[in-house]
Amino acid sequence: VCSLFVRVGPCLLARLEGRSSLKNLEPYLFAEEGSPVHGDVIEFHGTEGTGKTEMLYHLIARCVIPKAEGGLGVEVMFVDTDYHFDMLRLVTILENRLAQGTEEMIKQCLGRLFLVSCSSSTQLLLTLYSLENLFCAHPSLCVLLLDSLSAFYWIDRSNGGESLTLQEMNLKKCANFLEKLVTQHHLILFATTQTLMQKSANSAESFLPLKLPHETDTDYRPYLCKSWQQMVTHRVFFSKQCNSGNSKGFTVVSCHLKRNQIVKRSFSVAECGVQF
Amino acid sequence: MVWRSVLFSLPVEMVVLRAGLCPGLTEDMIQLLRANGIRTVVDFVSSDLEDVAQKCSLSYKALVAVRRVLLAQFSAFPANGADLYEELKSSTAILPTGSPSLDQLLDSGLYTGEVTELMGAPGSGKTQVCLGIAASVSLGLKQHVLFLDSTGGFTASRLYQILQAQTEDEEEQLEALQRIQVVRVFHIYEVLSALQELRDRLSQQVLSSTGPLKMVLLDSVSAVIYPLLGGRQSEGLALMMQLSRELKTLAREFSLAVVVTNQVTRDSSTGPLKPALGRSWSFVPSTRVLLESKEGSWEKGTSHRAASLAKSPRQPTGIQVQLDIGNGDVLEPSLVTPTQGL
Repeated sequence: VCSLFVRVGPCLLARLEGRSSLKNLEPYLFAEEGSPVHGDVIEFHGTEGTGKTEMLYHLIARCVIPKAEGGLGVEVMFVDTDYHFDMLRLVTILENRLAQGTEEMIKQCLGRLFLVSCSSSTQLLLTLYSLENLFCAHPSLCVLLLDSLSAFYWIDRSNGGESLTLQEMNLKKCANFLEKLVTQHHLILFATTQTLMQKSANSAESFLPLKLPHETDTDYRPYLCKSWQQMVTHRVFFSKQCNSGNSKGFTVVSCHLKRNQIVKRSFSVAECGVQF
Repeated sequence: MVWRSVLFSLPVEMVVLRAGLCPGLTEDMIQLLRANGIRTVVDFVSSDLEDVAQKCSLSYKALVAVRRVLLAQFSAFPANGADLYEELKSSTAILPTGSPSLDQLLDSGLYTGEVTELMGAPGSGKTQVCLGIAASVSLGLKQHVLFLDSTGGFTASRLYQILQAQTEDEEEQLEALQRIQVVRVFHIYEVLSALQELRDRLSQQVLSSTGPLKMVLLDSVSAVIYPLLGGRQSEGLALMMQLSRELKTLAREFSLAVVVTNQVTRDSSTGPLKPALGRSWSFVPSTRVLLESKEGSWEKGTSHRAASLAKSPRQPTGIQVQLDIGNGDVLEPSLVTPTQGL
């Protein structure tokens, strides 16, 4: 028991000392000033083609670009469950954002990015367990991106048979462990969830005590386990604008769940990535 | 990544703890753990080891050591962005489709490591475009192609025609034909089986007689998935997601370009065309091209089509080009362009 404390102690101290403020990460994404703070769990939700992954690239760029060039100079961990991550796209974005997009500079930025791909919810769970050491060893690694949390939904549902508990078991364990990681290592977690189902006409089920106004006009139907629903601090809904007259092609509706604050913003996607 | 899939082909959920699975895991330990309800790798790794040490009278240090080794064996290993970029620069290739205007739409061609979807109504030319791609990759790049035909639409004579239009050398034509492997698949399990066989072949590739394979075409994915949907919903969807996983991991791990064809549907009679197979499938391909007959072309036998970009990781959507899926558009194939920091 004593050895356990000795093991955690220095790691935590190093983290507290090395912690930098991330409130300039992307203020437009948040309803409240000063967000995000360490310990926040932000969910990106939307249908296909609404800009969620582009927004993640934008966040990565914001993090890995050094302070001298206007970025935050922090390390990022990207967990890819869809084999969706496009390195070449990220490089294009970095090239466009750096004053001198030389190979050296790009590699230096990319050196702050860690990537891992998981092929099942069980492997995701085991990988999260093994990542714990990485967070201890890298105190400046404080942003965790997960694309996407819903990737295994149908496979898990099928494997779990008739029992909802079994179906949700892996994701519940992942959610619980993610919460532990976020709290213990003072991380900020951004996770995407895909709109896999159409909202039912009369959704009597509501996992939140109050029916927030955004839920009626966005196509949102919560389907992931309660453990996840309850740990989310901000939910950002992505949608694509259909009218061609509008130059800003995408919209985000960002909700601070505990304070019940909502804000709506538009962005477009150019060669250099997301632009608000 | 490749060796991992060969050695641990059992899904990690099913791996039961047994002696010798990793150093330090003895038979005695296994029995004690089993007596306390810990059977699988996941059970072990999720448990509170202090608790387990007390209940099973095992050394805490020994348990921690075993946990570390098990995690190293079964979890995915993080890569550094800079290293991954280096790797991708040398392994990613852009394959020409055989049609310069389609290449333009796709930002030079089909990228390896990705799944590209061609969607369109029946008769819109999806199979023709696939044949053109197979011919281009086989003849022009001298790379092997796997063509999974689930509709019976593949015709060797048409493929031969396309090859003949590109080269007069009969020997070259024959060699190109030999590099294209066609497998008729009419059920999802046949598709999965063919992909598994491909995976085994590629994993063991040292001096392979089949040669380097860069392209997998599945024409069409909707034909094998449609029969699964409806009814016990989640099982069919789970199989569909399993197929999409297989296609994507093959593309990534072995630097292949995967092309799938799909039907189209619309929400209402005036709504926009969207890919069939529902929302979950829509997230799968990185690039999506819509093939349509040109408006007003009611004459029979016209080979003109419009291709528009519906989804792309690198180009703005909505751009459109004209295609001629008859012999006319099949021009000289261009060489592979390795990517060097886009």
